[in-house]
Amino acid sequence: MTGLGETSSQLALRDPDVRLMHRVRDDDEGAFEELVESYQRRLVAVMHHLVGNADEAEDLAQEVFLRVYRARKKYHARSKFSTWLFTIANNLALNALRSRQRKPVVPLETRDSGPLGPRPAEQLVTDRGGPPSQRLQQQELAAVVRQALDGLNERQRMAVVLNKFEDMGYAEIAAIMGLTTKAVKSLLNRARANLREALQSYVEMDGAPAACEE
Amino acid sequence: MNEEEIADLVAYLDGEADEKTVREVEEKLGRDASIRAEADALQRTWDLLDYLPKPEPATDFTHRTLERVSALRPRIPPPRRWRWRSGAAIVGWAAALLLAITSSYWLAKKPTMSDRGAVVEQAEIDQLLARDRRLVENYRTYEHVDDVEFLWALSDPDLFGDDS
Repeated sequence: MTGLGETSSQLALRDPDVRLMHRVRDDDEGAFEELVESYQRRLVAVMHHLVGNADEAEDLAQEVFLRVYRARKKYHARSKFSTWLFTIANNLALNALRSRQRKPVVPLETRDSGPLGPRPAEQLVTDRGGPPSQRLQQQELAAVVRQALDGLNERQRMAVVLNKFEDMGYAEIAAIMGLTTKAVKSLLNRARANLREALQSYVEMDGAPAACEE
Repeated sequence: MNEEEIADLVAYLDGEADEKTVREVEEKLGRDASIRAEADALQRTWDLLDYLPKPEPATDFTHRTLERVSALRPRIPPPRRWRWRSGAAIVGWAAALLLAITSSYWLAKKPTMSDRGAVVEQAEIDQLLARDRRLVENYRTYEHVDDVEFLWALSDPDLFGDDS
């Protein structure tokens, strides 16, 4: 994490992405392309975990980069570049999720990603072959976990995704979400309690879906 | 466990607990099987999140993003090519302006009906000047003379002629 009172130049020394963003500020197109290449996987993954839809996740990730580009002339590093980037992502994602609440969208299955069907690269991390029944179980479990995650409110979901999939600490999550560290601790505590409740039967069965309907 | 204790346990599992909290949690974990079971359940719940799919961005994501960005860049308009229609309009306006200026000038110079009288008067004045040129030339002298008859008398040789 960045120290208090670090200047932009000190941050630039420590963070290569800050230096890259300075080049973007100077209209270096190659630098911007580098940033897109560097962060697209993480952004798309975070957005996908939040909204549960691959196409929407890519649109949101792209919008993050557009906002970065639009803000380039005013960029002044006050934190790590990734913190700033994910702050933008947080704002966009929360807006999208709140907008959804106002206009509910029928959720697609987790493996459907658009009119052309599933994306070839959209694979479960544990789907490494094995018998079809095992893959089906994994897909069912993924759907259950997706549902449990969707059961969290937007802020709990964001905190979980940043902590779990971006491996961010409480302080960085607090900076991104505009909260205190204590608030993030409380948020994650409630989120994990809710997830535990929603996935209790799967936890007790070592994560395997129930063999028979009870 | 109360909510604060569970929160401390979560922070401990996340590696976010301070030294004091770490000592306290580890002490409880060591002596209480139910707390160990709770910690285990929390951790396994957390691990279930790994079953979520991790999609890769489309192969053309960078390209599409850069295309959208290029639309944001200010476009420098190309040099305007001479358009005949626009050029003719400019020439027309210039000609009209020149005509207006020229017309105004000539209208200012050309005598109007009200000026004709002034022109005639000027001609009469010119004639008078030509006839009485000597009067005009000697006006300075004559203006001191009160009586014209006196002036005529001055030219009478019997009164003011030479003795010779």
